[in-house]
Amino acid sequence: MGLIADKDRETIRAHFTDSLSDDVEIVMFTERESPIIIPGKQPCETCAQTQELLEEVAALSDKLKLTVHEISTARDQADALGIDRVPAFVFKGASRGQVRFFGIPSGYEFSALIADLVDVSNGTTDLSEETRAYLGTLTEEVNIKVFTTPT
Amino acid sequence: MAVESSHVTADVIEAMEFPDLAQRYGVRGVPKIVINETTEFVGALPEDQYLAHVRAAVEANGKNKSQ
Repeated sequence: MGLIADKDRETIRAHFTDSLSDDVEIVMFTERESPIIIPGKQPCETCAQTQELLEEVAALSDKLKLTVHEISTARDQADALGIDRVPAFVFKGASRGQVRFFGIPSGYEFSALIADLVDVSNGTTDLSEETRAYLGTLTEEVNIKVFTTPT
Repeated sequence: MAVESSHVTADVIEAMEFPDLAQRYGVRGVPKIVINETTEFVGALPEDQYLAHVRAAVEANGKNKSQ
């Protein structure tokens, strides 16, 4: 029994079959459980579960691949992607800009994860013509942070 | 939007897992959106209104020289 219910798993698999075009790599940064307790340092409470969830999602299409990095030994890669905390992951695919997730993508974030994987695979969105035209005129960096909760 | 423009980065942040960020950005309700650290709003808006906030943030920063 996985984190994703069997029924949902089949729905997502069918959705991916219909909707994914190009390959997407999910690059995750985690922190493995330490056998020693370091004073003042909180263990990562959702890292293991986030990895398990992403493994289950990646298994639903052969166009998806998951790569997992231990952040302490992949600091340069994490820095290059602007990742300073775990669990976090990004998508590598046909996206022009960067989409980053921080924290476990459960609840509403799970549907955002599935929708974003499809958009990144296709390199397109269902945004309006006006929005896409405006985005095409951007010359400076824009950062959008979306805060969510699982419920 | 990040899928459409190489100038956009989008961060989806689980607020309860990162209380330091939630506090720094004054998150009291979700979804809370913060654009370029300056413009913010709470709630799921229709796309045109969402875009208006992005435009406002870009213009406030005086960043989009082509506009």
